[in-house]
This record gives sequence, structure tokens and C-alpha cells, in this order.
Amino acid sequence: MNTIVTDIKAKFKELGVDIPAEKIEERLEKLIVQFKVPKEEAKRSVINFFLKEHGISKDQFYDAMGETGISKIADIFEVGKWFNLKAKVVQLWENSNPSIFQVGLIGDETGTIKFISWEAAGLPALEEGNTYLFKKVVVSEWNGKVEINLNKSSSIEQIPNDIQVQIRTKGVVPLVKVADISEDGIWVDLKGKIVQLWENSNPSISQVGLIGDETGTIKFIKWVSAEIPTDLVEGKNYLFKNAVTNEWNGKLEITLNRSSSIEEIADEIEVSTKDIVMTGAMIDIQSGSGLIKRCRECNRSLTKGACAEHGKVEGVYDLRLKAVLDTGTITQDILLKREITEKISGITLDNAIAMAADALDQSVVVETMKQKLLGKYYTVSGSRVDRYILVESIKKESFLEPKLIQELIKEAEAL
Amino acid sequence: MTAYTREVARRLFAQEFRESNLSFKDGNDQYSPQYLFTPTGAKVNRMFIVGTLTEKEDIGSDSEYWRGRVSDPTGSFFIYAGQYQPEAAQVLSECDVPEFIAIVGKPSTYTTPEGEIRKSIRPESIYIVDAETRDLWVLDTAKATLERLKDLSTSNPDALRAKEHYKTETKHYASMVVRALKSLQENY
Repeated sequence: MNTIVTDIKAKFKELGVDIPAEKIEERLEKLIVQFKVPKEEAKRSVINFFLKEHGISKDQFYDAMGETGISKIADIFEVGKWFNLKAKVVQLWENSNPSIFQVGLIGDETGTIKFISWEAAGLPALEEGNTYLFKKVVVSEWNGKVEINLNKSSSIEQIPNDIQVQIRTKGVVPLVKVADISEDGIWVDLKGKIVQLWENSNPSISQVGLIGDETGTIKFIKWVSAEIPTDLVEGKNYLFKNAVTNEWNGKLEITLNRSSSIEEIADEIEVSTKDIVMTGAMIDIQSGSGLIKRCRECNRSLTKGACAEHGKVEGVYDLRLKAVLDTGTITQDILLKREITEKISGITLDNAIAMAADALDQSVVVETMKQKLLGKYYTVSGSRVDRYILVESIKKESFLEPKLIQELIKEAEAL
Repeated sequence: MTAYTREVARRLFAQEFRESNLSFKDGNDQYSPQYLFTPTGAKVNRMFIVGTLTEKEDIGSDSEYWRGRVSDPTGSFFIYAGQYQPEAAQVLSECDVPEFIAIVGKPSTYTTPEGEIRKSIRPESIYIVDAETRDLWVLDTAKATLERLKDLSTSNPDALRAKEHYKTETKHYASMVVRALKSLQENY
């Protein structure tokens, strides 16, 4: 109620009328508390009362303020409602839609909200960092989030810059945990530790790797076009602001673009190393498995003797398995590095090299592994990295628990 | 957001497979996945079975076309592999009978001129496995079938669809599961 009182007081003050706060509060309280009038309606009624008392016409008042006065961003939730706002342009976003003139984020003391200035509105250009009085802007909802639209009826007027923008806001760009990220195209803030930085040969990518928090890890991409000066360092903790989730090849990642920013933070974030245990049938072993060669420079696996980064190189032998474990309800990619591969296949790296030399064919190794491993049940445990479970232990299942069979029979008979 | 995701290999017994007669496409274009919908509500685009290969025969005329019969505790599956399943066809041509084999494959249906729907499996891959793996599969499949049977009494959309199309009797499939599980006890 206090905010309504100060709001009303401020509006009248702008018209040169000073109304004591107590007088406003008294009327307002009576309406709201005693007569159970909804706040908005009570506010309107109080304003009208004082307008009449001071001989100010409604037109005069609402011309100065607009019909609803000046709203705060935190109060904007009602789709289709017209508002006036005093807000600073926080960010202008890249825009490829020809019917949109400008799009970005504006903010006031209570929060930030996306705005769209439509081409058809013909409004002057907004500049980042400047504060404006936005009149007659309308609220709409898109993808479950509210945004404001500047259209033909709207007007903007630059005003002195006295707004401290509250960047952390409700609902606009939520601070999320990795495990919460489940949809693409969502703007998020994320606090995490850089778990890995990956080799990157894509000229439009500045940095790529894995960021993690206590709930998991996720791939991130920092685009060159984002022009973010911060150079991320493995093992350090950062706050990614205004990052966007993106789905690529069926997996979610987060991307940092021009609107995003990165802050190094003092918090030490514990990255989840939660072990995942899963039992299922190994139903596929994928290409790039068995005896492979890696680049000496970057450890990347070679394709036809060539490294994606360093071209044709000599390479060093290694063993690994990229397999698919299927539980009947989920299908999971698993990655076995050399020691684990040797143990479960019974083929050491030296054996494998000898086998390949004998057969004059490297693929003999993976074929032998396939015959030994596929179609059988395994229990693996390990940590989730990207779309894989990085296997730390694997055991072939071979024992049927008689008690379990008994229990299942009972269960089935009870149906 | 229709990114490619690998279809899970469902577990179901031969009896349920044989008693399935509803197949549909999920979507309208030619690449939409085809599903076999079973009486307990499994939506099967890919399946994993382990059983005993009891018969095999090359029924092809000019090129090899292998038919195999694979039995589980509740019945048998027919598998067909030809030139478009070269690896699976090779395993079938080389392996002994009987043999424990594991198959990852796609259900395929064929309607005879008499209107009878014949189900078979088009294997993507076939592996020779051991007796333990076969038993583990029976246990695994019993568990998966039980879960689906329990779901039948819920308002899960697949459960509702199964009941509507098949008028599934839970007891019928529960007793199939019991039979399969009891067959495992005979080994002890």
C-alpha cells in the first residue's frame, strides 16, 4: 500500500500539487481495508478524489501521466494492458526480423523487460544507456513471457538519466541451475565453473567447453560476435548473464551472444560429479571405436590419418569404445577410455596393435570387440559428460537373483 | 525441436508381439517413424530380443534372403534378413542352430491376402550371446511387461489407447509373465 501512496503523491507533485501522504493513506486504507476494494480500483478512486479536490481535470492529469500513470516493470504482467514506463535501455539485441525496428531490454528500479519497437510504429531509435519515458506501450505475451510493444500509438521521449536499473528480475532472465535447462530458446543466467575448454577450430567461436554447477554440466559456446572480452579459464567460476539455451543435434547447450555478459565470481562452485549407475543391453558400438589414432598435438582422434586441427599427422594409438546402452526405456551413449576398454574386451592396446598389423586392417579390433560385447547386459557407472556417460566401471551382468524372480512372480500373480 | 533421437529398443515377449495388430506412423511425412503398438501399451519402433534360434532357412531366389525362427518362453519371433541387412544376414548364414542370439531390429507387419496380419522382425544387427544373457533378457522383459501392465490401470495415454484398441485383459499377460519367470526357475 505504501508504494501506491508514494506513487500517487509523486504524480500529483509533478503537477505542482503537494498532498500529505497521510491524507492519501487514510483514504486508500479505508477503501482497501474497510471496503475491500481491489488495490488498483482503490488507487484510481483516490486519484480521482484528489483531482476533483484540486480542480485538476482528468485530461490534464492523464495527459501528463497517461491513463495509468507511470508503471513499474515489476507490475507488468497483464497482457493487452497499456502502460507508461520510465525506463532505461539496457540492451539492444541483434534483430533480423524486417518488421521489427528495434528489440532489446529496458529496465527500471524494479526489473527489466523485453521490448519490441515495431517498424510500423515509426518511432525514433532508442540508444543503449539512455532513459526514456515510454507512453502507451502495450503488453503482450510470447513463449510464456511478457514483453512490451511499441506501436503506432506509442511515443517515446528521452528524459534525464536517473534510473538505477535492477538487473536481477522476476521471470525475465531467471538464474537457473544446469539441471533446470530443458528447453531451447530460453534466456537464462547461470552460475558455474568451467569444467573443460575444448579445442576450437571454428573461426566464429571464441570459446567452447563445458560449464557445470552442483546439478550437472552443459556445453557452452561463446561466439566471436558476442564481443565478450572475458577469456574464460578452466577451473574458474563465472556468472553468465543473458545467455540463451539452444538445442543442437538433440542436445541442449547455452550460447553467449552480444546481449550476454560474463562476470568472474568469487563463489567456489561444486560441480556435480554424481555417479550415474545404469544397467542395460549394449546394443551398438559406434564408429570411432576400437583401435584409433590420436593427434600428438591435441589428442583429438584422427579421421583417415588426419586431425581436424593439424591435418595429416603421424598419430599415436589408443583404444576406446563409444557404445549405446539401452535399458528398454532409455538409450544412453557411453564412452569407455582405454583402461576400461582393455578390461571389458580383454584386448590390451598392444594386442590390438598386433591384431591390426596381422590383419593389415585396423577395423579387425572393433569387429572382435563387437562380437564379444554386443547384445549382452552390463552395469556401468560414471559421470555424465555432455551426451555421454564417461564410464568409470563396467561389469557384465550374469547372475539372476532367485529372490527377485520370486518377487516378480508374486507381483504378476497379484495383477 | 524434432531433433533426431535414437529410438529405444523395447522389450516384449513373442506372445505379445504375435498378438499385436496396430501399427501407425507418428507424423505425416515419409520420414515419420513407424510404430507397432502392443496390447500392453508398448510403442515399438525398435526392439531388443534374446532367444534361441531354432530354425534358419535361405528362402531367397537370386540373392540370399534368410528367415530365422527365434523362441522365447512364450512363443517365437520370425526374423527376415536379406541384402539390405547384410551384417545380420551374414550372422544368420554362418551361425549354428540352435544358438542363443540377441537381435536389435524393427517390427515389420505384412497383411496377407486373407487379411491376416503377420508380424516379423527386420534385424539391424544380430549377435551370438550366452545362456546367461538369454535369462537376463527374460527377466528384463518380464519386468518391462509388468511395468506396462501396472500402467494399464492408469490414465497414461498409451494405456488408454491399448485398452481401447485391444480390450487388454491384464490377467492374460500377467500369466504370460508368470510363465516366463517360472521357466527361469526351472534352471535352478
